[in-house]
Amino acid sequence: MEHGRTLHALSDATRRNILARLRLRPHTVGELAARLPVSQPAVSQHLKVLRQAGLVAAEKDGVRRIYHLSVEGLEPLRAYVASFWDEALGAYGRSFDRAPRQEEKE
Amino acid sequence: MIEPVVKEIWVGAGVEDAFRRFTGEIADWWPTEQHSVSGEACRDVRFEGSVGGRILEEADDGQVHPWGTVTAWEPPGRVVFTWHPGREPDTAQSVEVEFSAQDGGTRVRLTHTGWERFGDSAAEMRGEYDTGWTFVLSRYAGATA
Repeated sequence: MEHGRTLHALSDATRRNILARLRLRPHTVGELAARLPVSQPAVSQHLKVLRQAGLVAAEKDGVRRIYHLSVEGLEPLRAYVASFWDEALGAYGRSFDRAPRQEEKE
Repeated sequence: MIEPVVKEIWVGAGVEDAFRRFTGEIADWWPTEQHSVSGEACRDVRFEGSVGGRILEEADDGQVHPWGTVTAWEPPGRVVFTWHPGREPDTAQSVEVEFSAQDGGTRVRLTHTGWERFGDSAAEMRGEYDTGWTFVLSRYAGATA
């Protein structure tokens, strides 16, 4: 399921940090690394995970790569969450239609 | 940037009953086979009714899988909890459920948020990026930016 990859990408605090910064404006790897307490190779690795999850994309500007947020990358996760709550609330609503439960011994 | 997920349902019961059914009586209706960590092996779901109360499932083998923690407990009108079933707590989003009398029954409105913390300009202005629990909890404790 696509949203699993999104959840994995979002499960790391540094990656969430990167997304927060990219929301403000696009950044190069170097700019991100300068502001984060992790090495540049580590930032590159995090960006790779985010790219594979469809959450960020990069454009080439000469020799630089500039990363930006890919907002539509969160859509599979949102769609999953929406259908999840449809199902949970549907079950909740149907519980009022049932006859009262008999007391059951534990 | 990212809209909350909002769902509404009307139930033919009073507000107190609707609140209690959602929380204390969650085991009576939650579809555990489809939506739990342990699936068919899920034995129980519990919703502890207080701030700091846990929402969790218990499997047949006795293992407990936390789903979230209550951050606001205001029966019968409102409950808010963090949400991270099968995940680490620091990846939690937040779910708010509101119950209000409507048309002889209760309108239940569920709002699943926490997406926007991935780009909170207020955090930028504070000069920090608090991406953990305290960020989620601070939204409901009325902390100022």
